[in-house]
Amino acid sequence: MTHAAATVDQMRPPYPAERGLDVYNTKLGMWVFLASEVMFFAALIGTYIILRFGAPGEWAKPGIVLNIKITAFNTFLLICSSVSMVKAYAAIQDGDPKKMRFWLLLTILGGATFVGIQVYEYIHLIEHGFVPSGVREGSELAELVAKGQLPAATMGLYGSTFFTMTGFHGFHVTCGVISMTYLYLTKALPGKYTKQSYGGIETVGLYWHFVDLVWIILFTIVYLI
Amino acid sequence: METAHKRPNYILIWVYLAVLTAAELALAFKLPISPNIKLLLLLFLAIWKAALVGLFFMHLKFERWNLRIMAIIPLPLAVIFILAGMSEHIW
Amino acid sequence: MTTVAATAHPAPAHHDDRSFIRKYVFSTDHKIIGIQFLFVSLFFLLVGGLLAMQMRWQLGFPGKPMPGGGVLPETMAPGGVILPEYYIQLVTMHGTFMVFFAIMPLLVGVYANFLIPLKIGTHDMAFPRINMWSFWSFFAAGLVMLASLFVPDGAARAGWTMYAPLSARHDLSGASFGQEMWSVSIILVGLSSILGSLNYITTIINNRAPGMTWFRLPLSVWSLFITAILGLLALPVLSGAAIMLLFDQIIGTHFFDPAAGGQALLWQHLFWFFGHPEVYILILPAMGMVSDIIANGSRKPIFGYHSMVFAIVAIAFLGWIVWGHHMFMSGMNPTLGSSFMVSTLVIAVPSAVKTFNWMGTMWRGNLRFTVPMLNAVAFVAMFVIGGLSGIFMAATPVDMFIHDTYFIVAHLHYVLFGGSLFALFAAIPYWYPKMFGRLMHEGWGKVHFWLTFIFYNLVFFPMHILGMAGHMRRIYDPTQYAFLQPYQPMNEFISISAFLLFATQIIFFVNFWWSLKRGKPSGLNPWQDNGLEWTLPSPAPHGNWERVPTVYRGPYEFSSPQVPEDYLPQTRRLPSDREPAAASAARH
Repeated sequence: MTHAAATVDQMRPPYPAERGLDVYNTKLGMWVFLASEVMFFAALIGTYIILRFGAPGEWAKPGIVLNIKITAFNTFLLICSSVSMVKAYAAIQDGDPKKMRFWLLLTILGGATFVGIQVYEYIHLIEHGFVPSGVREGSELAELVAKGQLPAATMGLYGSTFFTMTGFHGFHVTCGVISMTYLYLTKALPGKYTKQSYGGIETVGLYWHFVDLVWIILFTIVYLI
Repeated sequence: METAHKRPNYILIWVYLAVLTAAELALAFKLPISPNIKLLLLLFLAIWKAALVGLFFMHLKFERWNLRIMAIIPLPLAVIFILAGMSEHIW
Repeated sequence: MTTVAATAHPAPAHHDDRSFIRKYVFSTDHKIIGIQFLFVSLFFLLVGGLLAMQMRWQLGFPGKPMPGGGVLPETMAPGGVILPEYYIQLVTMHGTFMVFFAIMPLLVGVYANFLIPLKIGTHDMAFPRINMWSFWSFFAAGLVMLASLFVPDGAARAGWTMYAPLSARHDLSGASFGQEMWSVSIILVGLSSILGSLNYITTIINNRAPGMTWFRLPLSVWSLFITAILGLLALPVLSGAAIMLLFDQIIGTHFFDPAAGGQALLWQHLFWFFGHPEVYILILPAMGMVSDIIANGSRKPIFGYHSMVFAIVAIAFLGWIVWGHHMFMSGMNPTLGSSFMVSTLVIAVPSAVKTFNWMGTMWRGNLRFTVPMLNAVAFVAMFVIGGLSGIFMAATPVDMFIHDTYFIVAHLHYVLFGGSLFALFAAIPYWYPKMFGRLMHEGWGKVHFWLTFIFYNLVFFPMHILGMAGHMRRIYDPTQYAFLQPYQPMNEFISISAFLLFATQIIFFVNFWWSLKRGKPSGLNPWQDNGLEWTLPSPAPHGNWERVPTVYRGPYEFSSPQVPEDYLPQTRRLPSDREPAAASAARH
């Protein structure tokens, strides 16, 4: 430990305790929570894999229904916001709250833009006739199904799994943006994070990187495969 | 808080992630290879990217094993579930 | 993180100036939250029992007007005669209330909250406010589920397992809003459990008192820790499944609807992937608390402490790879079925380790048959019966014969009522003094125990025979089948025993309420136990300790030759004891 004396109360409860994981409570709690999030997304993604594996016919080819270009940009955006988050963490570790605020704000903007683009994508998809129950009758996509460019038998499953998985991911991003904004306003702006005390940044960062990680998996298996 | 380890080059990781994403896109839409190999390669790239985020951004590479276990425990369970569900369609 | 450290400082025990609302309603004190869980889930236990009584009336006396059934509306029971569509609601909601709103919160919500900080020696949970949210989301879930009984087209009616597509499509089940409320309520239960579990895990890992090493933890804490891990990883799967079910119901997705390419079997996999760990969530805390109570009642150290711990871990691990044994008859992959059969049979090994250890603990002990001890011994006996019938149905060929019969009903009630509920009848009077400062009445407790034990066996043992005879689970009117008509007297016998069993529980509830005000004051340590919680005043004050205690030994040092008394508290320092490193490190 480099700053043993100054950081003792971050590492341990404020009273004598048996040695635990040598990780302060909020960080440990976040990791434990992320373990349960893994299982939540395992249920959603596992459902997708199992449904697609046992689907009654071909699955729609990538790139026909979904707009890959805009999502690829969105993926890049989320990766960037992950880097800016970790830069904020590195900045406050070096004791530079100004730099930390800059990077944190950039992360919030990146996350918010991601959500905005996703909402735009949803509106666009629904206009074209792609809905959670499959393909809307009389829409643009319904014509493609009629022409045989999209498989009729599996479009219902496609819609169900796509909107559930990306929707819950978007919900997690929104939660992340809200909590980062909250921390920015109540902790970062008043200068409560210092070189010795930055647990909130590290913990919300863990959550943010996890959300990024889930998107990396989702982007590949939903948009590219 | 402990900063005993050398800080990884975050920008380099970011470049890795961006390049791997571009590789995925090229693989998915440009390369004329069989769909099964494509699937395996894409999954491999996705797991590689996820591992980069987990190891460097979430600092798992620098944590002690008993915290890493916390992140690892759910993974085999998820794999068991998915394999069991998939096996319903191959007998 | 100085700010977090500052808020984590508990208010010292002597000045408690919180308002009534902060103290008893939106409380962040783990003991108050535990007591809130206790009252609410005892209420739901009563609701679940009332639903069961109506079912038993219909099974014992099909087609006859139920006494008092006239108050029910025409859509449920016209003239007091229970309708088939009301009967299936009773079955569904009895299971749902008992599993999610009675047994699970009674074991985990009450005792994980109440016992963990007291037994490991800390001021409160790691995240007191998250703990409060855990209770209130459970409360909201309970309200939604309770309200679903009263909506116009009735409560959910696909069984507590909610098998799709019956649950997913309203045109099949005939219920719409009730079905959706079930899904919403279960999502909230999942949230509550996840919030609770992450609290318990963090607290046990990081906040143990100096000297409270992993292998000095009481078995109750060990089992609650492992249970919390199961809950943390299993409940999100249920929440995910319930979300997809809700989407099938309200926004027209097709996850579980085979007509549109979905998979009904996928629901079963998701549900039981959660459901089997859930079975251990419902029994492991009971096993842990019974271990504490049996060691105390036998005045002997627990037999094979380490093997008990490893058995808990083994059961929890195996619990993840056996879920398919609920689905042998679903048309699943037979290869998968046989691997599930083998892994299920293996669970008998750690379970037997625990059973023999309990018997080894009691062997030649100085037995004190107090009310908690009586109920704990009954737990062991009933768990053996329920466990053995479990081995029957783990074998695929046998299960094909008894699947979805009353044999299953008998088995699950032997583990859930005979197991978990007897453990609770042991745990509630045992820790009652630490909650309320008074003892429950011993004599009436014994009357309650013996009557419950007798009537319980009269209710559930004959169900094995009914099941072997082919009596189907969830059947509305057994007399419509010729082969079941000869068994109708047995059904009547079961029903009458069930009414008496229910009536017996009134003794418990009256004893509980009466003792709150009139019970004998208990003093610090009425059971002469070693645990840290017994060094505190009864009821324990807010913040528990002003200074956390130091622990010198494990929790089961009964009849130690080192001291004249037959118990040796964990905090008592003998001349030969060394100061734990954490305690001396904090002093410098």
